[in-house]
Amino acid sequence: MEFIRDHLLTLILFTPLVGAALVTLLPKKEEKLIKWVAFLISLIPLALSIVAWSQFRPAAAGFQFEEQVQWFPQIGSSYHLGVDGISLTMVLLTTFLTPLALLISFSIDKEVRTYFALFLLLEMGMLGVFVSLDLILFFLFWEFGLVPMYFLINIWGSANRQYASFKFFIYTMAGSLGLLLAIQVIGVVAGTAVPGQVAVFDIPQLLSFWPAFRGSLFGLPIGVVKTIGFWAFAIAFSIKVPVWPFHTWLPDAHTEAPTAGSMLLAGVLLKLGAYGFLRLVLPLFPAQAAQFSGVFAALGLAAAVIGGLAALGQDDFKRLVAYSSVGHMGFVVLGIAVAARSLGGGVDPQDAVLATNGAVLQMFNHGITAAAMFALVGMVYERAHTRDLGAFGGLGVVVPAYGGVLLFCTMASLGLPGLNGFVSEFMVFRGTWPVFTLVTALATLGLILTAAYLLWTIQKVLLGPLNPRWQGMREINFREVVVMVPLMALMFLIGVWPSWLINLFNATVMRLLG
Amino acid sequence: MTIHTLLPILTALIPLPPFFSFLLIVLFFNRWKRVSHSIAIGAMFISFLMAQVVFWSVIGMGGHALAEHPIHVEIPWLPAGATALTMGVLVDPLGAFTLFFVSITCLCIFLYSVGYMSEGGRHYDPRYSRFFAYISLFATGMLGLTVADNMLMLFIFWEIMGLCSYLLIGFWWEKNYPDPRQITPRQAGLKAFMTTRVGDVIMLLGIAYLYTATGTLSFRQVLNESTLHHLASMASVIPGLSAAALIGLLLFGGTVGKSAQFPLHVWLPDAMEGPTPVSAMIHAATMVSAGVYMAVRMFPLLQVGFDAHHGQLSAPMVAMAVIGTFSAFMAATIAVAQNDIKKVLAYSTISQLAYMVAALGIGAYVAAAFHLVTHAFFKALLFLGSGSVIVGSHHEQDMMKMGGLLKRMPITAITFIIGGLALSGFPILTAGFWSKDEILAAAWSSNQVVFWVLAIGALLTAFYTSRQICLTFLGEPRSDHAAHAHEVSWTVYVPLIVLAVFAAGFGFIGVPEHFPVIGPLINNNLFHHFVGATIGELLPHGEEGFNAVPLLISVLFALTGLVGGWLVYGRRPLAAGQPDPMVRALGPLYPVLKNKYYVDEFYNAVLIQPTIRLARAVYQWVDRGLIDGILHGVAKGSFQAARGNRWFDKTVINGGVDAFVAFFQRLAREARLVLQTGQVQHYLLQVLFFVCAFAALYVILWLRQLGG
Amino acid sequence: MMGVPLAWYLILAAALFCVGLYGVLSRRNAIATVMGVELMLNAVNVNLLAFWRYTEPGGMTGQAFATFVYAVAAAEVAVGLALIVAIYRNRDTVDLDQINLLKW
Repeated sequence: MEFIRDHLLTLILFTPLVGAALVTLLPKKEEKLIKWVAFLISLIPLALSIVAWSQFRPAAAGFQFEEQVQWFPQIGSSYHLGVDGISLTMVLLTTFLTPLALLISFSIDKEVRTYFALFLLLEMGMLGVFVSLDLILFFLFWEFGLVPMYFLINIWGSANRQYASFKFFIYTMAGSLGLLLAIQVIGVVAGTAVPGQVAVFDIPQLLSFWPAFRGSLFGLPIGVVKTIGFWAFAIAFSIKVPVWPFHTWLPDAHTEAPTAGSMLLAGVLLKLGAYGFLRLVLPLFPAQAAQFSGVFAALGLAAAVIGGLAALGQDDFKRLVAYSSVGHMGFVVLGIAVAARSLGGGVDPQDAVLATNGAVLQMFNHGITAAAMFALVGMVYERAHTRDLGAFGGLGVVVPAYGGVLLFCTMASLGLPGLNGFVSEFMVFRGTWPVFTLVTALATLGLILTAAYLLWTIQKVLLGPLNPRWQGMREINFREVVVMVPLMALMFLIGVWPSWLINLFNATVMRLLG
Repeated sequence: MTIHTLLPILTALIPLPPFFSFLLIVLFFNRWKRVSHSIAIGAMFISFLMAQVVFWSVIGMGGHALAEHPIHVEIPWLPAGATALTMGVLVDPLGAFTLFFVSITCLCIFLYSVGYMSEGGRHYDPRYSRFFAYISLFATGMLGLTVADNMLMLFIFWEIMGLCSYLLIGFWWEKNYPDPRQITPRQAGLKAFMTTRVGDVIMLLGIAYLYTATGTLSFRQVLNESTLHHLASMASVIPGLSAAALIGLLLFGGTVGKSAQFPLHVWLPDAMEGPTPVSAMIHAATMVSAGVYMAVRMFPLLQVGFDAHHGQLSAPMVAMAVIGTFSAFMAATIAVAQNDIKKVLAYSTISQLAYMVAALGIGAYVAAAFHLVTHAFFKALLFLGSGSVIVGSHHEQDMMKMGGLLKRMPITAITFIIGGLALSGFPILTAGFWSKDEILAAAWSSNQVVFWVLAIGALLTAFYTSRQICLTFLGEPRSDHAAHAHEVSWTVYVPLIVLAVFAAGFGFIGVPEHFPVIGPLINNNLFHHFVGATIGELLPHGEEGFNAVPLLISVLFALTGLVGGWLVYGRRPLAAGQPDPMVRALGPLYPVLKNKYYVDEFYNAVLIQPTIRLARAVYQWVDRGLIDGILHGVAKGSFQAARGNRWFDKTVINGGVDAFVAFFQRLAREARLVLQTGQVQHYLLQVLFFVCAFAALYVILWLRQLGG
Repeated sequence: MMGVPLAWYLILAAALFCVGLYGVLSRRNAIATVMGVELMLNAVNVNLLAFWRYTEPGGMTGQAFATFVYAVAAAEVAVGLALIVAIYRNRDTVDLDQINLLKW
């Protein structure tokens, strides 16, 4: 027990790795065994993170469940893990979605063993980003997560998977280049301030050192260096979030990925970028963040509106859901922009806290909602082998239960009050209005467009006379219901009573904004 | 535990039974029709009882006492930094009366739905249970909205009702029409949701602004003197408007959408594609009323800057007066040219809601609230009556094919006539008269333009109502369906009777004290005092006493309209196939009215089609063309650079080294050919050459050493 | 004998050596080449004896070295001529210009 309590995060982080190894050792032909072993193992990090949640003290400052082990003293990098309110929320999201995604994947029939092993590795990669408190470790996991996802899309994806996987991998990695360089610069410079250290990559230490650093570097004034560093970090994370206009990898990757891959891509991987903003960009570069916050607010608006327009113009069901992700993450960006602006002063703390709380909650909510939507799209694709919206029609007659679930999840995605999407969107609206009034007013277009394309989709898929082609479509089965019920329950619970979740990160957000 | 400590809990429980009914039906009892409707009606009845208990408990307290100490309880809901946004329930005088009429009308309509959706037990709709589930969820929404104590909670239930409206309008979603231009139920549902969504997001901005400016959304905290004063003195982002004015305008946007005022009125007539109980409940009595209810509740905010004595209206009030007056008139003109029995009522609803909005616009707070309640009763009655007609005559909805139903469906006919008279404002005996007259009286003393437009609207209202009654019930049947019409079942006509009683009698609690004869007889304008106490001192003191002029004009116009309608349609009832006299009388104006001034076509051409085309263009040209184009360009450029690098490697670097080596190889070959002759003497010569060379070198070095 | 400077003997030796060298390098007949080699060896001998006589007449080194040289010269002539006979038997010629196999 002591061991578990002291190494909770390491256990959460590496159980998937152990699971992946275990799965690889199983015989290739035992597909059922592989699937169940993988699924059951994925429940362990979930259980552990719930334990962490129960032990977590939201009001305490700093990071909890910290573990630090010497790893690479020559470059000043240590194996340092820890969580605060925001990262714990994300860890919960990841460990919650992964078993569901694995459960959806039970219908995979090609190269089953490799698939499930890769999935568990992917989980580890994502968790690593959220729990690591060392920049090198952070970057390591950041890049690591790309590899399994690349293969997942490339091997088990749809028709255009080569292009999509390649684009995803290269685009994200290209952004990470600047990130790595900036990390190096910061680490080395921080190292000069500490006697005996070549570099310092420890995040808590850097958070107190770097914003206060005033010297000049490479002959350039510190302002220029910090601006370049800010943009290096920001571009890398912007590609991941994705911030418009760096979003074009998303529709391709999400559409071509297998169902579970899309669930985790939309559900978790996008949050890595937003998390990067909150954990690194804003605390390390407060002045620059405040300076450029207007740009990000405008880009968040662009994502909501232009992403919404693009979704409206879609004929492919899955691509439409992908674009809806672009729109929803636009709201996250809006909230982060307000947080950034508040770091420069002149913003009522209440507004900033509301907007940031809204952004974090939207991150969680969107994870749930997007995962649900992609699961549903996957279900219909499995039965119909098409994603063309024009080919459907009247499915509400043959698959009423599926129709009901789809309607419910669509309402959550649309931001219907009473369900989770509304709470976070309202908070972001409320927080952004006093800071970026015009942007907020224009962002309402995004809300209207979201309602339009989602309801139009419902109409094309579920309503109307039944297209005789789908006469024999199978209803939603038990396994799929088991996947959807937890998601729908959370959508409802958070919509009706959000405070249990918000209290988890409310204090952290307040401290983040100073 | 006294009744008073119980009341807040009871109030909080009111919206819950229908919600559980919804869950139970959807999750478990979907297959059992009778069980489903029993659960739904049972739950609604429980809510009804609780609402009535609350209402009758507070009515005894008197308006001022209740306004000062309303039933109120709240809990923290949304953490926002150090504070939290609260959710709770509130019952003040306005809320009490709203609870009263909502619970009664909803219960009546639930009961009615049994008969309607099963056609008197003869033919159950295949999705019968689901219908009851949806209307239960809807009832949750409306009841929740009524007891809400803050703007956010109101908005949440507001949107839930919007969802139910969408689901219920599109209830028969497989229905298709042969004419592709005729809107199908599912399209109508989408249209309703999207149109109200526009209003809703504007309202959301208002809510966000209100929250920002005051730090709270609770009605009690916002609608008090000091907060309103603070908002009035705060400037907003729009120059010339105070924060209060801008918030008021934004919130009013929600009303424009939900209560189907121009320009967001287009969804309501098409919402008639839904089953008639839906039209009655949602699109007449409750949901559309919610828009006005919200405006009435927020009236203290909307009227900031209102000065009754100098006739100065605040900006939101101007908007309400203009939009209300215009919508009232416009809708009334359109109703004259409609032949579908439900469409007439739909436009009538728009028109009557507009009366309420206009009333608020000129500051007649109590009149608006009064008309809200009476309208709910008689409009629900009219819709239910029309539904009874429709089902009774086997789904005939075209009035031109009806006729003679007075003999065949007497209960429906009489109750419908009572409702129609109430709508027209038939003097004394109908509730509609008292409420409409109060509005007109207020308009007379505040703004003559508003008065005359509303009065002419009243004339038109009476006319088209009379037209409707005559076409439907009088004369001889103009089709087989009408000839074989019959009452449906008791579940259908009992609610009609109940509502007719209210439509006739409810008005008497709102008789002004100065009214001749009847006023002193009742001697207590209960409604005015009770509901007016909600806003207390803010109530405009425009009542100088009884003024006969507006009363006489309104009575005159009402009777003129009724008689006129009878003269055209009732005295010599139309025969089958005979065209509507209005077609010739109105001439070129008729098609414009029939096509609702072509507003839908305008919206489609200017807003909807361009947006869809823009959407496709954005996807094709911005995302794939421009952004991906840049990416692909970068990718191609990188590949070209890579190929160039490869070429450089192969040709320049590799080749260079190869050439260098080849040069020396050639040099060596040449040398070998020259030097290696095979002849020993030549070799000896080479030896000699090198010996001499080394000797010379040695001598030079030896000499150098000697010298240095 | 002390009237003749050492240098004159050395010049004689050098001249003989050069003649011999020229003969080696330029004669077409192989036997003439061997004769030139003999001349060079004898020139070396003259050199050695001159140095012996003029620097250290009592010693043995010069004499011994000279003896060694013309013993080797004799052996070398024998071997050289044997080689030439062998070549003649093979190639029917002792013209050095035609013997050019010592190459790659």
